[in-house]
Amino acid sequence: MGGKPSKPAGAKITPHDRAILDLKVQRDKLRQYNKRLEGVVEKELKLAKGHLAKGEKQRALLALRRKKFQESLLEKTVLQMTNLDELTMSIEQAMVEKQVFAGLEAGNQVLKELHKEMSLADVEKLMDETADSIAYQNEIDELLSTRLSVADEEDIEQELDLMIEEETKAMLPKTPVSALPELEQQEVEEEDEEPIPTKKVAAKNKKALNGPVLA
Amino acid sequence: MAQTTSNAAQGLGQATTLASGFQFPSLHNFPPFYTLQPTASTWKNQSDLWGTIIMRYYRHHRLYQLDLDDSATNDQLFSNQRINRRLNSETIQAIVEEMVKKGDAEWDATSRKRRAIIYWRKPEDWAAMISSWVFESGLNNSILTYYEIAHGENSEDQEFFNIHPAVLQKTMDVLVKRGVAATFQGANFEEMGVKFFNAGV
Repeated sequence: MGGKPSKPAGAKITPHDRAILDLKVQRDKLRQYNKRLEGVVEKELKLAKGHLAKGEKQRALLALRRKKFQESLLEKTVLQMTNLDELTMSIEQAMVEKQVFAGLEAGNQVLKELHKEMSLADVEKLMDETADSIAYQNEIDELLSTRLSVADEEDIEQELDLMIEEETKAMLPKTPVSALPELEQQEVEEEDEEPIPTKKVAAKNKKALNGPVLA
Repeated sequence: MAQTTSNAAQGLGQATTLASGFQFPSLHNFPPFYTLQPTASTWKNQSDLWGTIIMRYYRHHRLYQLDLDDSATNDQLFSNQRINRRLNSETIQAIVEEMVKKGDAEWDATSRKRRAIIYWRKPEDWAAMISSWVFESGLNNSILTYYEIAHGENSEDQEFFNIHPAVLQKTMDVLVKRGVAATFQGANFEEMGVKFFNAGV
């Protein structure tokens, strides 16, 4: 733009603006006329009262007649003013609507441009490719998980067996100690010592009996 | 002078208060206050004091224009019947001249220094007031007539209601210069208009 100092966008007076101004100027003129009429009406009323007070009925009547006429004029100007006001308001409303339209249009344009950058075919292709990638990934996951289970299944089972065994071993000796009274327990022990067949269990029992003493 | 004045002022009795509620300083009762003082420093003081009184008086009565030939208004302000003194129009002119130098007043260019606008509020202040009124009433981006601003229903409760056309024009010039408004050219005050932009306050 020229050498003039920069002005905000839209800082221009359009013919539309001029038209609105003309309407408003007319309205102002009517308003002034209105004010004048109001003054005149008031004056006529005062005159009529004055005449009546002096007993000049005829002149009072005349003043009242004039007042009546001026009041009708006043009514007309009020109506005209309303019309002018309505017209200006409609124009202003239309201008706002035009701005809204322009805003929508600009938004639409941007949306269109963005859409141009991603065609439907491209999106479809991209989605297909993505689906392919996901499927591929799933396959890899599956493969890896299967191989893992096959390779480690035995180890895991072995570990589980070991854990079960240890747990049973730990639990076995406790049962007799807590469940039987001392005398009976001794009898049972004596009786039991013989029939127990394996060395392993006997050793285990001894260990368990010693356990609390050591502790 | 200042010393003398204040000493003298103390003996001047009750300051004059007008029916409108405007109160003159007690200096208003000091006879030499009505004669142009020949000493430069005294004159400066005197004209400053008169300038202050004029501004206060005009603000109080919401007056805008000082007309040297409008004796009815001037008599109330520039004369004191109690001490039978009055400022002659040459002295008033000289006082206004001092005010113009300070930016408190401005001669009407066509009046050959007979009429002046008294700026009891600077056009910049009016501009701020009007633009915030425009902003608050949502009138941005709309067209207003000068008449509407000065005498419209929307501005009835505003301080700039009934503002003097010349002051309003000055104010609009400020706003146009700032780029927040554009004025329409009209044949006379009633046909002038302005468009405010969305530039904020």
